Amino acid sequence: MSMTATAGRAHADPHHIGLIIEHPGPAPKRIVTAYGFWIFLLSDIVMFSCFFAAYAVLAGQTAGGPKGSEIFEPKNVAIETVCLLLSSFTCGMASIAADVRNRFWFYLGMAVTCVLGLIFLAIEFREFADLVARGYGPSRSAFLTAFFSLVGCHGLHVSAGVLWLLTMMAQVFAKGFRADILRRMMCFALFWHALDIIWVAVFSVVYLLGSAP
Amino acid sequence: MSDQTHGLVKHDLAPGEEEQHSVGTRILGYVVGLVLALLLTATSFFIAGTDLVWQPSIPVALIVLAIAQMGVHLVFFLHITTGPDNTNNVLALAFGLLVVFLVVGGTVWIMAHLNANMPPMDHIMQMRS
Amino acid sequence: MLGKLDWSAIPFDQPIPLVAGAVVLVAILGVLAWVVVRGHLPYLWSEWITSVDHKRIGVMYVLLASVMLLRGGSDAIMMRIQQAVAYQSQGYLPPEHYNQIFSAHGTIMIFFVAMPFVIGLMNLIVPLQLGVRDVAFPTLNSVGFWLTATGALLVNISLVVGEFARTGWLAFPPLSELSYSPGVGVDYYAWSLQISGVGTLVAGINLVTTVLKLRTKGMNYLRMPMFCWTTLASNLLIVAAFPILTATLAMLLLDRYLGFHFFTNEAGGNVMMFMNLIWAWGHPEVYILVLPAFGIFSEVVSTFSGKALFGYRSMVLATMAICVISFMVWLHHFFTMGAGPDVNAIFGIASMIIAVPTGVKIYNWLFTMYGGRIRFATPMLWAVGFMVTFIVGGLTGVLLAVPPADFMLHNSMFLVAHFHNVIIGGVLFGAFAGFEYWFPKAFGFRLDERWGKAAFWFTFLGFFITFMPLYVAGMLGMTRRMQHYDVAAWRPWMLVAAVGMAVLTIGVICQIVQIVVSIRNREALRDRTGDPWDGRSLEWATSSPPPVFNFAFHPDVRGEDAYWEMKAHAKQQLLEHEEPEYQDIEMPRNSPTGFVCAFFATIMGFALIWHIWWMVILGGLGAFATFVVFAWRDHDEYVIPADEVARIDRTNLEERRSLVSMAGAV
Repeated sequence: MSMTATAGRAHADPHHIGLIIEHPGPAPKRIVTAYGFWIFLLSDIVMFSCFFAAYAVLAGQTAGGPKGSEIFEPKNVAIETVCLLLSSFTCGMASIAADVRNRFWFYLGMAVTCVLGLIFLAIEFREFADLVARGYGPSRSAFLTAFFSLVGCHGLHVSAGVLWLLTMMAQVFAKGFRADILRRMMCFALFWHALDIIWVAVFSVVYLLGSAP
Repeated sequence: MSDQTHGLVKHDLAPGEEEQHSVGTRILGYVVGLVLALLLTATSFFIAGTDLVWQPSIPVALIVLAIAQMGVHLVFFLHITTGPDNTNNVLALAFGLLVVFLVVGGTVWIMAHLNANMPPMDHIMQMRS
Repeated sequence: MLGKLDWSAIPFDQPIPLVAGAVVLVAILGVLAWVVVRGHLPYLWSEWITSVDHKRIGVMYVLLASVMLLRGGSDAIMMRIQQAVAYQSQGYLPPEHYNQIFSAHGTIMIFFVAMPFVIGLMNLIVPLQLGVRDVAFPTLNSVGFWLTATGALLVNISLVVGEFARTGWLAFPPLSELSYSPGVGVDYYAWSLQISGVGTLVAGINLVTTVLKLRTKGMNYLRMPMFCWTTLASNLLIVAAFPILTATLAMLLLDRYLGFHFFTNEAGGNVMMFMNLIWAWGHPEVYILVLPAFGIFSEVVSTFSGKALFGYRSMVLATMAICVISFMVWLHHFFTMGAGPDVNAIFGIASMIIAVPTGVKIYNWLFTMYGGRIRFATPMLWAVGFMVTFIVGGLTGVLLAVPPADFMLHNSMFLVAHFHNVIIGGVLFGAFAGFEYWFPKAFGFRLDERWGKAAFWFTFLGFFITFMPLYVAGMLGMTRRMQHYDVAAWRPWMLVAAVGMAVLTIGVICQIVQIVVSIRNREALRDRTGDPWDGRSLEWATSSPPPVFNFAFHPDVRGEDAYWEMKAHAKQQLLEHEEPEYQDIEMPRNSPTGFVCAFFATIMGFALIWHIWWMVILGGLGAFATFVVFAWRDHDEYVIPADEVARIDRTNLEERRSLVSMAGAV
């Protein structure tokens, strides 16, 4: 056995860069779960960035169809934005309520978040349906393709969020504020806030920049 | 993996987790965030539709306002701070943002070049007609 | 009722895929029948299929990769034979079949061989090296594996039901658009990649979180084994790059299914945007594959040289530099497609810069070997073979990074030779080195050295005989993916390459024989101490195979090469027979979630490919219901009592003590 060959360097910090803070060991589950979800959110944001990039490339390709300024309605977008902003706030209230184990405020916060999310989805759906009815569906031009995909992708995420929200409420109803459920609630709050951040980019880049004539 | 064994040692904060505060302080944080976000949103919508400012500055202003609002969301809703217990979360965010920047910026830059040197088919058709 | 699916989907007129499919089907049914008759099904279900143990999942990943390697390898043999015979003739493969073969070969080798192989090894080893009991998300890990398997299954179904893409492994539009590829081939391609892509993303998130948040006491970042660092870098790339692939393929699918205009020629769509986006994923992808291989070589070279890794910190820096720069070079895949000289120059220079950290790594390995006491066991042979081969591949890569040279060599056989040179010489040799090196850890016995060395030499020589001629053919102007050709000058090189392919095949056969021989002689090859190679990192500190909980105690790490140091210092303590106080250990329960989820994903993918909409809804609802049921569980952990932990741990400690006392006597 040649075990002793390099035993000399065993305890050495070869570069002596000073105090070494010893790693405390595996992190508690709450941190592990939330961090994993954080990483997922970043990957989701990268996916959105592709749709943003596609929109930036194709925004001018109207192929004789309508331009953004001809189809966007700033008033609707403003209502949608306020809905999402308020829902982010109520979602924050719900997570505080969950942390202090207060069922009433939790249900109230989540319910208001859900309603605001549904209003947002309804307005978006009406906008899409209206455009398709006027013959400005996604197959009309590359610009509309990119527009429908980007905004629709965000809308799908919000829909998934609403589904998750309802599942969360049912879980709290059935199981109470158990540790694993609180972890999930934390991930849900991250998800909902992240969707709001993406919406900021959507209304700025797509609707406001795009409505310039 | 167990929560008990390492309860005493200092761990990082989970993303979205706040330092220990009272409920009142936490609610106040969300209120401040909401007010700031609403203000920034209102400014964006106002600027986009106004004739009062120099027109070419509008896109720049909109982008700056959007970035500012994302920052507000990150700080007040997602509780991302510069504290040492947040380093891992911030580093991950920074890596993600770098990739987003590279993908979007690179795509726009490359595609502008390709479009200039090798226009898409329908452009060629338009040029011929 | 069944969408586009009817009897015409099965290619009764094409004997080759039909016979191949029949053989595979018979083999699968045979194995299944054997399993059922011998009564292994309950064992298989409870110990493997539903397992959330990272070691088991890692083994299943490697198994999947090995099976798919045989499939992709058969495609390669068929192509080499075709190009050897198709001089001034049509050969034996009609064009539409040949096109499916090269598309399937590329898709399978990258997504279902290289990816699962490296992900499997990372899954198996990284938690052990970090000194922890499991990965961050054990059940999601199982979901990720089974979704990858779903993708592989769909690709194989395309062999007999319908067809595979004829578009090459990246399905460039406009060829892959509905107007030019109306069949289901591209849909098979896209949906299998979407589904397995979700699996890969899950694996990436899981491993990033594991490395960053689950490390044993004292395992500071700069004490992690090199393989953990490359795992971190590679999985960060997965997390950042795979969403790009998902988005791009989603755009292609929207074009094909709903008449969108992302990449069409009409209505303002832009074909070049597909090249741009897919390569923004594609280039990081090659580093996703090769970085773990670099980590494996670092472990192997250091262990078999009996020395700590030379320049550990520079190695860490080089790894993370590659991680970031790999996102800045993607345009070099389409230099010739119209970007201006300034864009080309910048991406060309970035491509050359990324060779620098790779060069740093090569020198570090060489200096690790320098002055070491080198043992040329099979893993070390693969590592040295890699260094020789990879330098050739890397240099031709730098050559291709020069835009003017690329204008001559783009899409030629030179390019084909180059990327096989880096992927076989880098990733596959790395996977084989890791396979030989960690096999004893996974199964408790070593692999036969004689057959292993034979496998190495045949594969190594076979590789050079196959691919060096392709460089020449490329220089002579031969383009890739040719079903037949009329240029006499290319013929001899194609013949040599076919001979090389035969030698490579012998290498593969040697590897299969090696496994069979080793299983037969397993008692003689048994690894009783858990440390067969005199290793340096923590995976060798536990028994082979490790108990389900990996470590009775979280090891306390005091420096780099954690286990090496423990061995040097703990000899005395080991001999003193002090009995540690064992405690109960909580481990995650096995769960069928992954398998059930993949079952529904398979149904959904197949239904989407054939436009069977009711089945799509059924599959989607099933997958959602599976998740809700999983989220509703009340007990996700079980307890291994302290007595049981003690019993398992004592056995291994006894073996180690006897080894240490023997060494002490010498």
